[in-house]
Amino acid sequence: MKVLVPVKRVLDYNVKPRVKADGTGVDLANVKMSMNPFDEIAVEEAIRLKEKGVATEIVVVSIGEQKAQETLRTALAMGADRAILIVSEDKVEPLGVAKLLAKVAEAEQPGLVILGKQAIDDDNNQTGQMLGALLGWGQGTFASKVEVAGDSVDVTREVDGGLETVKLKTPAIVTTDLRLNEPRYASLPNIMKAKSKPLEQKTPADYGVDVTPRLTTVKVEEPAKRQAGVKVADVDELVGKLKTLGVVA
Amino acid sequence: MSVLVWVEHDNASVKDATLAAVTAAGKLGEVVALVAGQGAQGAADAAAKIAGVSKVLLADDAAYGHALAENVAPLIAELMSGYDAFVAPATTTGKNIAPRVAALLDVMQVSEVLSVESADTFTRPIYAGNAIATVKSSDAKKVLTIRGTAFDKAAAEGGSASVETISGKGDTGLSSFVGAEIAKSERPELTSAKIIVSGGRALGSGEQFHALIDPLADKLGAAVGASRAAVDAGYAPNDYQVGQTGKIVAPEVYIAVGISGAIQHLAGMKDSKVIIAINKDEDAPIFQVADVGLVGDLFKIVPELTEKL
Amino acid sequence: MAQVYEAPLRDMRFVLHELFEGEDFGDLPHFGEFTPDLTDAILDEAARLTRDVLLPLNASGDAEGCTIENGVVRTPAGFRDAYAQFRDGGWAALSSPPEWGGQGLPETVNKLVEEMICAANLSFSLYPGLTHGATTAILGHASEDLKRAYLPKMVSGEWGGTMCLTEAHCGTDLGLLRTRAEPRGDGSFAVTGSKIFISSGDHDLTENIIHLVLARLPDAPRGVKGISLFLVPKLLPNDDGTCGPRNGVAVAGIEHKMGLKASATCQLAFEESIGWLVGEPNKGLAAMFTMMNAERVSVGIQGLGVGEIAYQSAVAYARERLQSRALSGTARPDLPADPIIVHPDVRRMLMTMRAYTEGSRALGQWVSRALDAEAHGADPETRQRASDFVAMMTPVVKALFTDLASETANLGVQIYGGHGFIREHGVEQFVRDARITQLYEGTNGVQALDLVGRKLGAHMGRYLRPFFHAVSAQLADAAKTSARDLAAWRSSLEQSFGMLQLSTGTIAQKALKDAEEAGAAATDYLRLVGLVGMGHCFLKAARIARHRLGEGTDEADFYTAKLATAGFFFDRILPQATAAFLSIKSGKRSLMALPADAF
Repeated sequence: MKVLVPVKRVLDYNVKPRVKADGTGVDLANVKMSMNPFDEIAVEEAIRLKEKGVATEIVVVSIGEQKAQETLRTALAMGADRAILIVSEDKVEPLGVAKLLAKVAEAEQPGLVILGKQAIDDDNNQTGQMLGALLGWGQGTFASKVEVAGDSVDVTREVDGGLETVKLKTPAIVTTDLRLNEPRYASLPNIMKAKSKPLEQKTPADYGVDVTPRLTTVKVEEPAKRQAGVKVADVDELVGKLKTLGVVA
Repeated sequence: MSVLVWVEHDNASVKDATLAAVTAAGKLGEVVALVAGQGAQGAADAAAKIAGVSKVLLADDAAYGHALAENVAPLIAELMSGYDAFVAPATTTGKNIAPRVAALLDVMQVSEVLSVESADTFTRPIYAGNAIATVKSSDAKKVLTIRGTAFDKAAAEGGSASVETISGKGDTGLSSFVGAEIAKSERPELTSAKIIVSGGRALGSGEQFHALIDPLADKLGAAVGASRAAVDAGYAPNDYQVGQTGKIVAPEVYIAVGISGAIQHLAGMKDSKVIIAINKDEDAPIFQVADVGLVGDLFKIVPELTEKL
Repeated sequence: MAQVYEAPLRDMRFVLHELFEGEDFGDLPHFGEFTPDLTDAILDEAARLTRDVLLPLNASGDAEGCTIENGVVRTPAGFRDAYAQFRDGGWAALSSPPEWGGQGLPETVNKLVEEMICAANLSFSLYPGLTHGATTAILGHASEDLKRAYLPKMVSGEWGGTMCLTEAHCGTDLGLLRTRAEPRGDGSFAVTGSKIFISSGDHDLTENIIHLVLARLPDAPRGVKGISLFLVPKLLPNDDGTCGPRNGVAVAGIEHKMGLKASATCQLAFEESIGWLVGEPNKGLAAMFTMMNAERVSVGIQGLGVGEIAYQSAVAYARERLQSRALSGTARPDLPADPIIVHPDVRRMLMTMRAYTEGSRALGQWVSRALDAEAHGADPETRQRASDFVAMMTPVVKALFTDLASETANLGVQIYGGHGFIREHGVEQFVRDARITQLYEGTNGVQALDLVGRKLGAHMGRYLRPFFHAVSAQLADAAKTSARDLAAWRSSLEQSFGMLQLSTGTIAQKALKDAEEAGAAATDYLRLVGLVGMGHCFLKAARIARHRLGEGTDEADFYTAKLATAGFFFDRILPQATAAFLSIKSGKRSLMALPADAF
């Protein structure tokens, strides 16, 4: 079974985003960019499936600027087999991404597409579900456990209040939640090997997909800051405050 | 403009998240509530009482019993020929279904809406709430998920909408429900609790976490939360985690015990009405958002507080 | 606030790809496969590993330390897992040759990765570090049989290594050592004696530990000419390569140290332990010194690493600590007080720390390029030139970087104020950890003596030539600059370089008549060389930055900051050269005036 894993290059999760003064977005110049952490989990899950003998080949795809090559190389260094970069210097929305991925999936015929549940930049949490709709495949979103058995896959999902397990007919979509696994660090020999793994370049036009955005960003602002409140000296004063606030009688 | 709202329910009653979605939808137009479930007449009746709901659609079918997106999304997409917008609460169920609906309609969804600025313009958080984007949709129909903490809840009683039974294509055969483990707790659920007591890594161990945090929470009738550091250290189970990668909460009162206030934690609780912080480090970032702060040793303060309440 | 570290990847890429582009020792086709996209990927992953795996164990390892129980040494919690991750990722094999299972990375990249490891967890770095040192000595001097038996497992990091030199009564002066080796008649030797200060002497990270031990043969001449090197495994390997019986190496204790507490520093007792000769009889010191020289550069890098984490931790605190208001008026009316970074004196400390670490990184990279060229240069002339440069700069890198690291770590504590003195903030650890780097692998005083005694006058000053030529060439090249700041900085460098040339001549002459004159000048001379070396790098960096900004770049912030740091270096750090020059000029007279009895 082939596994397709889309990955996105985003602002590194350790970097505090800075809103640009002109309100057009978040400043991405000169900041560390990395693979979206949820996508890393997706790549790791695919590699584990390959190590178990379930997956035979892992294809990673990224849609974005040329620099997204680095992200694909990271995935290859972790253990993916080959990569496809669909180059678009303009931002592509989840709907456009899902349409492109649907074309890739039609060409590659994977048994599973594993995606991060959301990218930590736009926090949309849409692409996997949209891809499921476009392909007419089942979806196991927010996965904390994935078990492939024959032509179906059991996905345990992190839902409000607990866990839920669904059985999906393959081919299917899985989107990863934080605790599905802990992604590995690429080993040095694998980083070196990644350099010679195939990386194919495409454009949205190659797939005949119109990726014109449907949303326009009017402005981006910093959230309203909370003002720091008061410090109390001891527990008695704290209890007093709680009473004033009506928390306790 | 007419708006179809996804009702989150347990077949018998309507969950709170729905009420905020109704408020948000009401800002766009006439609200029609969709109850898809199995044996869900009770939920439909409850939805009919929500203030601001003009009509309830009930799709009662085994295929909709567990709100599988594969089955309910086509139902909604078909209904959408008669509506201008689809609104779902940004719960795990809403987030699972809405994008599937959007793709079927060839619409770009707006996720986690914080405010409705106009019929086509919304604000939403990006970068874990470190920035707020105002976006304008050019799609003819809108698909939105609503952040529950950003809208007031519509009154659960007072409405008297009619309930209309509908049917859809039913089971697509793509997926099936196997089972669920929903954490049972005497305490209120984190995302809907009025008071939350959260513990951080400063508690030092799982035993101390429970020995200190649980009694205080019980005294206040509060839910228990934890920082990611505390969860990663194994002091508290995963579903306790409050933060960017955990649960987003906005209770009336949030009490942070031994939590320094990493950005990712603040992102999950900073909309709480009142934040109370107990930490020994007076420079801890948590104090920059706290309404009331107490600097000191939590191992002394928390038992004393529990006792004095 | 606490220990803050994120590998300075942008500056690392700058020194690796931009600073020395197309100069000095030429292209090295040997490393052709290490294209920038590959080296950057390696640095990225090393940055993640060091930040996420090693850094979290730095403070906890310091607090817990190593323990010994029933003769078995245990590393602090988490070290075993971290080491396993490090080894399994192939990081232990970083720069070892591919024919023995290594990754064959150029030193230019290797030293940057070393810097990250040392910054994130200096104690941890000692375990793979010592193994690598021992591997180097075996590679250079051991028989093919020994290489085959030991190298693959040491290169992979499955087995550890040590260097056993010091004994209770002999540290710097190894001629005094007493450990002896008796032939056992089958080609092996029985090694008996006690060693102290043995880094990684015993621990629980690897299955076996291979000791390289300096000892005397029965008929050996006295002094340093009678020392041989032996390979003594902790467990004797079976023929199939698995570990066999214990080999009479006992841990007599672990040292209780000021810092570096998670590194197991052991006292080892060898009791008729079976060992094999490495290299020629009585030539052990030479064999050990090939490794020692390499290790000295690495110790310099250790200093740089600790300096960097001290700097980053200080910046984080200076940004967040709110005290008083800016001298020029309130800077942050939204806050109860301004962050202390607004204060000029805090800036002085931060800029000093920054200039020291950036200057050291650039100079270290220059030396790393020479290390690569020494081994793989295009022709014998290039290899010789590179080798001469390495010989001269090795003591400078070791002593300068570690002295600066100590200063930097101390400034870090100063920025934290009283909180810096409190353990839980984690920055006093940097002071304690940095302190050892000035002491081991030859104290910094010994380094300075090496520079003036063995390097300065040798072969008619040949060792100094590549350095002096490079500085002269840049001064000539930069003379054309019309930019006012660059011209001023160039002239500061020219002035300091003049003082260095003058001092070099003076010391060479005086030392001919009186060796104590060289000793009296040594430490100041080493600092002067280091300042000129860093000044050379900063001028180069500033010229590149100015050029890039002129062309237009989307990384204007980085290059503008580089210019600012260079400006600070020339204004506020390079003037130290004058002080060093005047000290050197004064000679030994006042230094030695007081008779020893009068102290």
